Amino acid sequence: MTTTEARRAGRKPAQIVDMSWDPITRIIGNLGIYTKIDFANREVVECHSTSSLFRGYSVFMKGKDPRDAGFITSRICGICGDNHTTCSNYAQQMAYGVKPPPLAEHITNLGEAAEYMFDHTIFQDNLVFVDFCEAMVKATNPSVLARAERTEAPRGHLHGYRTIADIMRAFNPFEGEIYKQALKMSRITREMFCLMEGRHVHPSTLYPGGVGTMPQPTVFTDYLARLMRVIDFVKQAVALNDDVFDFFYQALPGYEEVGRRRILLACWGAWQNPDIVDYRYETMNHWGKAMYVTPGIIVDGQLVTNNLVDINLGLRILLGSSYYDDWTSEEPFVTHDPLGNPVDIRHPWNQTTLPHPQKRAFDHNYSWVMSPRWHHPETGQHLALDTGGGPLARLWSTALNGLVDTPYIKATGHSVRITLPHGEKLPETTLEWTIPQWSNTIERDRARPYFIAYAAAMALQFLEQAQTLVRAGETKVFENFQVPDEAIGCGFHEAVRGVLSHHLVIKNQKIANYHPYPPTPWNASPRDPYGTPGPYEDAVQGQPIFEENDPDTFKGVDIMRTVRSFDPCLPCGVHMYLGNGKTLTTTHTPTYGTDQG
Amino acid sequence: MGTIRVGRRDVKPDTPGHVSGLHQGNWGPYERQTGHHRDGTSDARRSTGIHWKKHDTIMKAMPNISPG
Repeated sequence: MTTTEARRAGRKPAQIVDMSWDPITRIIGNLGIYTKIDFANREVVECHSTSSLFRGYSVFMKGKDPRDAGFITSRICGICGDNHTTCSNYAQQMAYGVKPPPLAEHITNLGEAAEYMFDHTIFQDNLVFVDFCEAMVKATNPSVLARAERTEAPRGHLHGYRTIADIMRAFNPFEGEIYKQALKMSRITREMFCLMEGRHVHPSTLYPGGVGTMPQPTVFTDYLARLMRVIDFVKQAVALNDDVFDFFYQALPGYEEVGRRRILLACWGAWQNPDIVDYRYETMNHWGKAMYVTPGIIVDGQLVTNNLVDINLGLRILLGSSYYDDWTSEEPFVTHDPLGNPVDIRHPWNQTTLPHPQKRAFDHNYSWVMSPRWHHPETGQHLALDTGGGPLARLWSTALNGLVDTPYIKATGHSVRITLPHGEKLPETTLEWTIPQWSNTIERDRARPYFIAYAAAMALQFLEQAQTLVRAGETKVFENFQVPDEAIGCGFHEAVRGVLSHHLVIKNQKIANYHPYPPTPWNASPRDPYGTPGPYEDAVQGQPIFEENDPDTFKGVDIMRTVRSFDPCLPCGVHMYLGNGKTLTTTHTPTYGTDQG
Repeated sequence: MGTIRVGRRDVKPDTPGHVSGLHQGNWGPYERQTGHHRDGTSDARRSTGIHWKKHDTIMKAMPNISPG
């Protein structure tokens, strides 16, 4: 079992109540959490996470022109579609053997940095904090709110709120100051994104081989002007978050156990370094380590590997409780990788999706999400890795690796130091995110604003590098390529919520197999054939309940905080359901000029 | 598609979304497009077709880039 150990003994006779939330709100998609709660011991004893949505991208991608993959897979998600486009382009660049010009790489990196800033802000301030706002805390833990009224905010000189309760009031949806300010900020960051990638959220200017963004001086200065408007907001967001989360630890001793699971974190790395990357599989380990967020797999606080080749070869897609038939009797597409290493039949390159709709049964199959696992070569275990919602794993891996050293960011081996320049009001600030003791709900949420700061700091560096090239008269942002008859490719990237990989097999210049694996299948996976629960289930199972309500008025806020701390996004998590309404249209594209008379 | 019954599709999946022969927009007739260079760089003359000989920088120290 690769799960978190059971907790303390010394218990009262159990008083078990079945509680379920289906669908969970403030999450895109259809996530259901089914639990058994022991109210006598204030603990969750069992948890199942289920998704009732099937989409089938890996089914209908087959036979298409591979150059379309980035545009199609972007539609997997309405908030992080650009991450899919970027990742798909990485995979295609490997397959076509093409390397975009440096300026194109900077433009992609700037777009992705804006996406991280936008997405984390809107999720943290407009969705996560509803669980920590005054109205919610009043309904679930009135004694905590009373204490918050009396507690001074230690970083009030930075963010301007006197007490913790003042901050909580500012989190109140639709009326709180922070809630409204975050919406404005997420608009500005989306404008930054559109300057680089053309359109949010499905980029119109990202292609394999480069970008279509016109690299004019004004594009970069427009981006910079907006970035300087959000930089103070970012500094304040970190201070606000630290105040509130530190207060929760003080006000509710033992709250570190909420959502705590064994430290099993995965990060596939983000932002390529244009000087190093060549997108060849043979050198993937070398250019993977040069990324500005370092890839890594962390088990019990130790770095197991930061080699993307090892990470790739260890991927296994298991079926234990998912509505699919097994594909092990099918013909494998890739038996050996370009380095000659054998590739498992359960690897995404060899996967065939065979959906099999059926009744939901928690002792049998109960979800459309499969169970991605990472095969640990030393122990032979299939690890149920999670992403910590994205930022936790990214910062953890970058800090432990200690490889990132840029003008604004320094990874120290135990922390990440982020320096942000003077903004409109606040002076130059150095923030330090230190590796926490636990992988739990609060730490997943706390890492998010730090990563917004990280993205802002990286954006400054990419801007400087891009502007240097533009000042030298550089305009080249695209490299021509030919689609080969047969090729394989894989792309590794960090979607906003964590690990993202795209695996592509080309035969006869068409897609023979295509499998995107975003973060949510990792996080929301059901029990695998070895009985190992997925991260949501594992984190919720055994967590204590701090809510003061009895079973009749129980809201389950602690459980919701845990699930939402992973930043769940089910459309990414599942692999078309045509119900009673059925719309089929025939379209043929493209024909130049037919509609232009 | 496993055990799911699906109808016949109306469109071939490989209906092309691309026309071969398209190149990067800036790649083209360098003789007629003043200010574009074959190495992917450009200068201030790129942005005008009128009296382009007069639109270069007047000093070496000035950045010779097209106005954005």
